[in-house]
Amino acid sequence: MISEERLHILTESAKFDVSCSSSGSKRKNEGGMGNGYASGCCHSFTPDGRCISLLKILLSNDCIYRCKYCMNRADSDIPRATATPDEICELVCNFYKRNYIEGLFLSSAVFCSPDHTMEQLFLTVKKLREEYNFHGYIHVKGIPHADERLVRETALYADRMSYNIELPSEQSLKLLAPQKSRESLLPPMLHLQRDREIFRAEKRKGHFLPAGQTTQMIVGASPESDGTIVRLSQSLYRNVGLKRVYYSSYVPVVHDSLLPENPAGERREHRLYQADWLLRFYGFEAEELVPEGGNLSAELDPKCDWALRNMHLFPVEVNSAPLETLLRVPGIGARSAYKITEARRYTNLTFESLKKMRVVLKRARHFITAGGKFYGTDSPAAVRELLIAGEPRDAVQLSMFSDIETAHSALTGEL
Amino acid sequence: MIYFYDGSRDAFLTAFLLAYHDEDAVLTSGGKQLALGQGSVFVKADPARAQKAEKRLAEFDRQCLDEISTILRSGDLDRDMVAFRYVMLISKLQKPIRSMLSEDAVIAATECIRRVGFEVHRFHGFVRFMETPCGALYAPISPDNDIADLLVPHFRARLPEYPFVIHDVKRKKAAVYDGSHVFTAPLDRAEVVLSADEQAWKRLWKDYYESVNIPSRERLHQMRGYMPVRYWRFMPEKHSL
Repeated sequence: MISEERLHILTESAKFDVSCSSSGSKRKNEGGMGNGYASGCCHSFTPDGRCISLLKILLSNDCIYRCKYCMNRADSDIPRATATPDEICELVCNFYKRNYIEGLFLSSAVFCSPDHTMEQLFLTVKKLREEYNFHGYIHVKGIPHADERLVRETALYADRMSYNIELPSEQSLKLLAPQKSRESLLPPMLHLQRDREIFRAEKRKGHFLPAGQTTQMIVGASPESDGTIVRLSQSLYRNVGLKRVYYSSYVPVVHDSLLPENPAGERREHRLYQADWLLRFYGFEAEELVPEGGNLSAELDPKCDWALRNMHLFPVEVNSAPLETLLRVPGIGARSAYKITEARRYTNLTFESLKKMRVVLKRARHFITAGGKFYGTDSPAAVRELLIAGEPRDAVQLSMFSDIETAHSALTGEL
Repeated sequence: MIYFYDGSRDAFLTAFLLAYHDEDAVLTSGGKQLALGQGSVFVKADPARAQKAEKRLAEFDRQCLDEISTILRSGDLDRDMVAFRYVMLISKLQKPIRSMLSEDAVIAATECIRRVGFEVHRFHGFVRFMETPCGALYAPISPDNDIADLLVPHFRARLPEYPFVIHDVKRKKAAVYDGSHVFTAPLDRAEVVLSADEQAWKRLWKDYYESVNIPSRERLHQMRGYMPVRYWRFMPEKHSL
């Protein structure tokens, strides 16, 4: 059994990794323990409001790299620990059996060498699957510069893998994470994607990353605009076939002349996630949301902002507008849009019925008519005022807590 | 007329037939206050009648029988009327109505079913098993809705080699998987002996829970929204050991 102290060190170093989802895998139980849960499952929630789905842990935090923003970097003075594959496997099985977790999210600092690290990750998940007979969810980090065959072998045991893009441009990567490069990140992702497609096309037995790949990047440590970031995400979704891109707003932990003095604030992260959702589920193009060098509006969510720039398209009639159009109305999400399209097959919808169906009208009323009636405000300027006044303040308040403790935490300490 | 019944599906369907032409019908399986001047009757399950109702409803909408069972599992006090109004509308229109999402009866039924289903999903995550010396697992729960047996298929599929008991301490019943069969049984109190390592794993889990939190980003309101306090009772991470 792993000691409390080492569990603490290896968790402490992993906790800033933002991806935690356990969705996308339908792996079956084949004797032993565990299976996939396609919709994902949260097992607990910590006081910071985040969910615990996977056991998020590093195999080692003893890093040979010196990424400027990371608290595990080689010259940082923190306690170090390395776990054995058996310690990890035993921990996963005992937590899983008690229903504490949905699976494992295994990452590691680069210790000894990239190949050695990747090999240890590979051995751990292979052991977990074959010796411990574990069929629950496993997410493994890809290690940049590691041997491609090792990565491919690992993919045969994992449900999901992720390489962290870390920073939105090659220049920033060179500056802040000198041992990593686009070359060490993008090609492995593309190769995994290609191998996954081949595996599926040939209908081979077994699994090859059933839940696909994800990535994450730090926002605000380098000068890239939201426009650049949203375009990068769009191309990662379309060209690399990623399932998710995670963003984590930068918080200074280390003083370095190359790094900004101030945290990026969580509002920016929040807006990027909103834009990301619009790309993936609402049929928006990056070009519609934000110009290349520009930033997303801080005051308004990206859908409202887009709608206000395109007032000539509104209002739309809820009783006849097609689903794609309803999805573009501020305040109407996928669930409301579905309810509307179902309900209107039987009856003419009025504002009363929308209210009864719990479609939130605070924002939407300025952009829709129901049975020809309009209850919004006509002038775009007035609508803008109203919408800004109605924005929740939470996202801003959070950055007020960026004190020393946050600073210590900063780091998207992955890898 | 007020129709009391025991909450079972057969009794509900019997009451439904009896109340069919009664415009002021109130169905209840809880302790409903009698209004002055309102007559009341206690309806016993009548399998023949229930079967008749079932057959009729299935002609209009096969799926609605499952929906009724789900609604009757709800912990909401008005579940009986929600189910009653829903089947009344189905009988009136003689067809499935679940996508008529602006109808009051459909909104109420959909909401009710959604809440039960949501709690089942939540408990797939929130159930906490303890290990006994023989390797069998025991989890006490206290859910809002009567869902103990609905949780079994999920855990059976992922832990087929581990017999387990999910004990609803509020309703004093247990859903049991003995390693091959599944059944439910009344269970008031359970004496559980824990395995030698149980305490140590619980301890590690608590350590993990504390280590993975980011204290400077405290958002208690959000945490309680996702994981309401009433569910904490059997979660080791929310208690000191």
